[in-house]
Parts: sequence; structure tokens; C-alpha cells
Amino acid sequence: MDLAICAAAAALIDITALIIIFASYSEKHSGKKVWGKITSDMELTDESRIYNLECDEILIGRHASADIRLQDMSVSRYHAMLNVTDGKWMITDIGSKSGIFVNGVPVQHTRLYENDVITLGSKRLIFRKRRKN
Amino acid sequence: MSNPFFYFLSCVFVAVSHGAMLFNVYTNGKYDSINDIIALCVAVIGLDAVYFIIMPFFKQRTYAVDFMLLFILNMSVIFQSCFGGVHLDTKHFITCIAALVSCRIGYVLCRNHRWIQTKKKFLWAGIGILLVVILLFTGDRSMWIDLGFMSIQPSEFIKPLLVLACATSIAEQMNKHEVHGLNIVYDNVIIFGIVAFVIVFQWWCRDLGSIPTFAAIYASCFFLRICYPKAKFSRKTLIIAGSVVGILGIVAIILAPAYVKDRIFADIWSDPDANGYQQTKALIAIAEGGWLGKGPGKGFLHEIFAYESDIVFATISEEWGLLFAIMTVIVLILMIAMPLVNPPRSYYHGTMCAGVCAAFTMQMALNIFGSCNMIPFTGVTLPFISAGGSSMVTSGIMTGMLVAAQSPVFKNPSAKQKKSSSGKKRRTA
Repeated sequence: MDLAICAAAAALIDITALIIIFASYSEKHSGKKVWGKITSDMELTDESRIYNLECDEILIGRHASADIRLQDMSVSRYHAMLNVTDGKWMITDIGSKSGIFVNGVPVQHTRLYENDVITLGSKRLIFRKRRKN
Repeated sequence: MSNPFFYFLSCVFVAVSHGAMLFNVYTNGKYDSINDIIALCVAVIGLDAVYFIIMPFFKQRTYAVDFMLLFILNMSVIFQSCFGGVHLDTKHFITCIAALVSCRIGYVLCRNHRWIQTKKKFLWAGIGILLVVILLFTGDRSMWIDLGFMSIQPSEFIKPLLVLACATSIAEQMNKHEVHGLNIVYDNVIIFGIVAFVIVFQWWCRDLGSIPTFAAIYASCFFLRICYPKAKFSRKTLIIAGSVVGILGIVAIILAPAYVKDRIFADIWSDPDANGYQQTKALIAIAEGGWLGKGPGKGFLHEIFAYESDIVFATISEEWGLLFAIMTVIVLILMIAMPLVNPPRSYYHGTMCAGVCAAFTMQMALNIFGSCNMIPFTGVTLPFISAGGSSMVTSGIMTGMLVAAQSPVFKNPSAKQKKSSSGKKRRTA
């Protein structure tokens, strides 16, 4: 009986840890909503695909492990960095050869607004509100 | 938690688990008076209830790490209060409350990387001040400051500062400066200098047990540093760094003081009354405890030096059983693995999590494997389980960093001032 109580207590510890993990896992979806609020629910898109902005400090470049990979020789391997602060997105040139143009204006570091057109080399990206589908 | 149902469910299960442990103490424990158990119940369940009420006042995306922390801390209070006989360990209970408070402080200070990056130099200065304090106020080549009613180990506080120093400088990887044909990031040089100095200092103070923890923090941050941004992973750098660490390790063993060499190469069973004293007793206690233990307070290990800190894993195994001891370690591992469930949203928070996980993992490994004679005995504490105020407070701060990474804030600290002065400025073509 005494050993059974000891084993039951140990089992409860296990169950509690699992419940906390399960609760944390269930919050993943609500976490995405919160992130959407933090980032004003924006996304980048080009002619062929949509890029979700899932974190702060997003690297755009040609390299295979860049967060947003643009396979074009006019884009540098490490071209630009996107940051979010107070729900505002900023883009920074991180030493690219062809530079960054926002709405046709060359920039080093600037804030992005909805429907801005970002040009990296010969690639054009549109910064827009996330579409539901 | 964003879901009140899961918040309530977590509260209930944490409290019920602690209740089950207390019932085990009541049925299997060694106590003189029922009042001892009542006092322990009031302390544990009371702390649970108070923290459940306080937590929602801090608006976080998730409270999972907080629940894990409270869960572990109260388990620790129950364990520590039962060693050698059931009696509420008031000192340990207070240090657990201090850990919870420091967790809140750590969370508030570390959640916004824009703000803390502006305080980077204060972090470096903080480490410097702590080193000076150790030099001036501790005894001869010691790491402790004796205040009479309590002792403080200032070197413990360097750990969270070092993690933060590494995390706040990660974004500087893009700012390279050419010095004599070499591309140098000043922050990297400073961080390396700080770590090297801290390690040499620890060596000089003969506190070799903490060196692997500092090295682990730096190694995790170094690894993330050479991967920043993601694309810039350099295998060559990694191989060179690994080789340097290996060579330094061999040199360290060769140059180590005699007592350290004794511990590294000692056969504890041939010397059970000197070098192998604690470890042999610890191993005997683990074996005697079996899977479900002798019962809370019924062990003999509480008569051995550092039973509540350095060999606490063995003490728990003896009285509560190996099952409980392993379960406790699993809960600790799950707590530091929480960033895998809700990943950090920035390199700063990622580096911070990596540093904290590295420190906790190294400390757990040194303590548990040291107790079990799988590695040389180092005398490092088991986070949140071992007794010790300095260790508890720093572990609390580092857990606060994990909480911060789960509920980050992306706000400009000077946004209010700018807003009033400049207003919204639209770039014109």
C-alpha cells in the first residue's frame, strides 16, 4: 500500500509534466495570432510565392539557408535583413552588391509600409497584409 | 495561459501532484509530530496558491515554464524538508521564493531585446564589478563572501550576466571592422576576453567545478555566433574551435592541481574514506534506495557532508527512490526544453535560451554523473533542487530568461519620445 502511494505520486508528477507540455503545445495556434498582432500581420510576396514573416530578424538572400531565399544571381547571398519593432517592419541592407530599392528609391535602412515594392537586384517583392487564404 | 481551461487544469495538476507527494510523506515518512507535516503542507500548497493568483498579473503568451518552475521548486521544498526527518526547511523555502521573484525580474528585464541591447555595456561592467568583489571581499582564493548569517557566492551571478552579454551582442555580427587585414567583430573579442578572464579567475580561485558551466555557455553562444545569420555557418571555424578546446582540455588536465588530478584518476572504492568518501556513500545510498526509496527522512546520507547540495541526487534516490530522482531530472529537462515547443522569435531570444539550456544541462550532468562516479566529482549544484541561495537566485533569473523568450516583446524603448517629437513620417519617392 505504501509503495503504491509512492508510485502513484511519481506517476502524477509525470502526468502533470505532460499536461503542462500539452497546454503549451495547444498555445501554438494562439501564439501565431499574437505574433500576427505584434507584426501587423504582414507578408512578402513575389510573382510566384508568398513568404510568411514568422520571426524578427529575417534574412533575405540567395544562400540556401536564408530565411527568404531568392534564387537569382543579381541577389547577394546575404542581401537584406527584416526587423520588427512596435509592429513596424524595417529593412536593412547587410552589405549587398546591388543594393535595396523601396518604391524605386535606394535605401540602406528604412521602414516598410503596406504595399511597398522592394527591389533586390532584379527581384521584386511586395510587402502587404496577410491574405486569409 | 491564453486558454483559461488549460491554466486551471495546470494549476489543479501541479497542486494535486504536490498533494500526492505530501501524502507519501505522511504515509511513508519519518516524523516526530503531525505538526511538521501540516507546516510543510501549508508552505507548499500555500506557495502554489499564491503563485497561481499572481501569475496572471504578468501578461504572458504562455505560462508553461512558470508552471514547471513552481512544480520543481515545491518538489524541492518537500525533498529538502524530508532529509533526515520531516521538518519544514524554512531557509530553503525562502530561497525558493527568492528564485520565483528573481524569475519574474529576469522575465521583465530580458523580454525586450531592443531595450537590453542599449544596456550591453552595463552587463560587461556588471561582470567586471563581480570579479572585483570576489577579489576584494572573499577569503584567500575563495569564491564565498561570509556575511555571518549567510554566505554568498558572487561568481554564480556572473552566469546570467554572461548569457545576456552573449545574447545582446549576437546582432553585432554584421558590424565587422578590418584590423590588420582581419575582419573583426569587437563584441566577439570582448565576450571572448570576458570568458577567458572568468575561467582563468575561477582556476586561480580553485573553483574548477564552475568552469565547464561557463565554457558551456560560451560554447553554445559561440556556435550560434558563427551561424549568424543562418547562412554564415562555417564548418572550418567549428573544426578549428573544437580542436582548440580539445588541446586546451588536455593542457588543463596536465596543469591541474594535484587534488584535481587525484579526483580525475581516483578509484573511489580503493579509497572510500578520503577521495571517494562522498561518492561511495552516495552510490551505496542509491543502491539501498532502490526504485521507490526507503521513505522520506529514513535515509542515512543526510549525515554526509553536502548531502543537500553536491550529492542531492543520491539523497533523493535513497529516501524517495530512483524513480522520483529521475522524474525530477526529467521535469527539469522538460522545463529547459520548452523553447522547442514555442520557439524563440529572434536571434537574441534564441541565444539566450541556448545559453540557459547549456548552463543548466552542464550543471545537471556534473552533479548527477559526479554523484554516480561517472565523471570526477565537481561539487556543482543541481539547479533548483540543491540547497543554496546564490545558486537558486541565479537559476531563477535564468529561468526568467526562458520565460522572456516564450513571451517576447518587440518594442522600441524610446518609441514614446520619438512619437511625440516626429510623428508619422512617410518616405517619399
